Amino acid sequence: MSTATGEASSVPVTARVPRRRVSDLEQFAIVTVHQLGHYFRTNRFLGLLGLAAVVSALTLAFQVDAGVATVQFEQLYKASEYLSNFLMYTGLWIVLAAALFGGDALSVDFSTGAGYYMLVLPIRRSVLLAGRYAAASLVTLAVVGVTYAFAAGGGVYFFGARDVPWDRLAESFGIAALFSLAALSVAFCVSAYVRSPAAGVLFTLVALYVGFTTLQAVVELAGYEPWFSLTYAGGAMAAVLDTDFIHVQAIPVGEDQYYYLWAATVIEGLEIMAAYVAIFLPFSAYLYQRKESTG
Amino acid sequence: MSMGSFAVRDLSKSFRTGPPALSNLTFEFEGAGAVGYLGPNGAGKTTTLKLLVGLLRPSRGHAYLNGVDPQVSRRRALWDVGALIETPEPYPTLNVYEALDVVGRSRGLTRESVDREVDRCHELLDLPPLGYRIGWLSKGQLQRVAIASTLMGDPTVLLLDEPTSGLDPAERVLVRRLLKALKRDHLILMSSHQMLEVTEVCDQLIFLHHGRMLLQDRVEGVAERIRPRAVDVEFARPVSADPMTVLRGVASLVEVLSDRRWRIRFDGSEETRVRLLSLCQGLGPVAQFANSSLILEEAYLDLISATAPES
Repeated sequence: MSTATGEASSVPVTARVPRRRVSDLEQFAIVTVHQLGHYFRTNRFLGLLGLAAVVSALTLAFQVDAGVATVQFEQLYKASEYLSNFLMYTGLWIVLAAALFGGDALSVDFSTGAGYYMLVLPIRRSVLLAGRYAAASLVTLAVVGVTYAFAAGGGVYFFGARDVPWDRLAESFGIAALFSLAALSVAFCVSAYVRSPAAGVLFTLVALYVGFTTLQAVVELAGYEPWFSLTYAGGAMAAVLDTDFIHVQAIPVGEDQYYYLWAATVIEGLEIMAAYVAIFLPFSAYLYQRKESTG
Repeated sequence: MSMGSFAVRDLSKSFRTGPPALSNLTFEFEGAGAVGYLGPNGAGKTTTLKLLVGLLRPSRGHAYLNGVDPQVSRRRALWDVGALIETPEPYPTLNVYEALDVVGRSRGLTRESVDREVDRCHELLDLPPLGYRIGWLSKGQLQRVAIASTLMGDPTVLLLDEPTSGLDPAERVLVRRLLKALKRDHLILMSSHQMLEVTEVCDQLIFLHHGRMLLQDRVEGVAERIRPRAVDVEFARPVSADPMTVLRGVASLVEVLSDRRWRIRFDGSEETRVRLLSLCQGLGPVAQFANSSLILEEAYLDLISATAPES
């Protein structure tokens, strides 16, 4: 054998390397680590993480500038109220992360050479999907974790560690984790269906943010509860911290006419999120399994 | 090392639009050696390879890798197979080592074995530094990494779709030598447009045309059927004679490449070839008289015209 320079090489062409059977679980771990290694170096992850940190830090900085007394007054002297308001936009961060990390997680195999690298390995597609889903969930949680960390820091600064409802904050983070899984399930489903990674990201963003928000508003205008909406269910993240939670408000808009404003209860939110995971994740696995590399 | 095999039986593939990409294709190989898979663009070469590894589902028939249909179990079918299809691209954010590591680990190598295999591939294929990101690599470097990925864990069957695509001449030589060494105890299916390259590496050839098998034979058998219809003549000294006057009635066309080199096209018969040599020697000392480098398209057209009456 020779190298490109024409020099003789003593390296054996054939290697008798022992190979052992690898379980699905081991391959799942291999794919997850591989995918995480990719995500951690992407601009989209670093950008989103940085953006979440900067926005949270600026929010906290303005509050510190306003002073402890002002913030306590604004938040009705309740740490839970403060946390609930601070985390009001967590759903938006999750939707953004789901679109960026899940919107092209599968379509990349059918539009770039990535599929010709990974899909010819002896790994089940369901295992590939599960590994990528786990990795996308972890990086999404990392982004969410930043906002929760700033919220917790602010809570301690303005109200003291003893007054921060740590148990409910943890519950809220758990709900945020489930919301992330639900949003990623939708994103993976879109990604398994479309062929273009950019289209996957865009469709996920439009569906989860613009689509649901618009439909939710229309349905509420008609006086119905938007129980089908994932973004509606996302309200449970703040609801669990809200001590004065109201499920439905009837706002009078004329004689015997009311506009109903709905907010998902925690249980309702959890049910909707779980339903999204249960429906969209298996469906994305089915689509991914069936998809052919025709490009 | 166990013996590898691949087979397709009555394999057909149609897409939503257009004519069938493959029609009733059947072939089977077992043991060690290299099979060249030739045909022009759109002949169905890559489609066959994709069907073999389960990237496409057959419209009819079956494909088998080491006796396992990838439609039944892709994981078992691909366990002892290295496949290079189209242009594989690991994530650009990963480095060369990480890109090869995921392949080795998923094929059941331990971390230590992965390291040894990466070193072996690095040496065999003159890979770029292992810390280089995939996104930084040139096309040739990326192709060598992709070839290395097929070798990780030393699978018995190698399916290679134009493996020298994007490589410079030195890299092509490197890969050809590697494949010639590998075929001693591996079974290789290699698709290519490069007739000369395939005949250098492979023992058997399959010609494909419009999704149908045109010919399957040993390389020598194919060479017999495809008669080169052009020779390149190099004279020892410059020649001033008008070639068409000298070779009238024997050559169909003469291209004057320089004052010492001609490319002579003729009917391909041995008798004419001998006459041409004799006539050229009459003009002066002949330094070289050899078949013109045969491009696939010419050979392919010859083959079509040769087999058309039979079909």
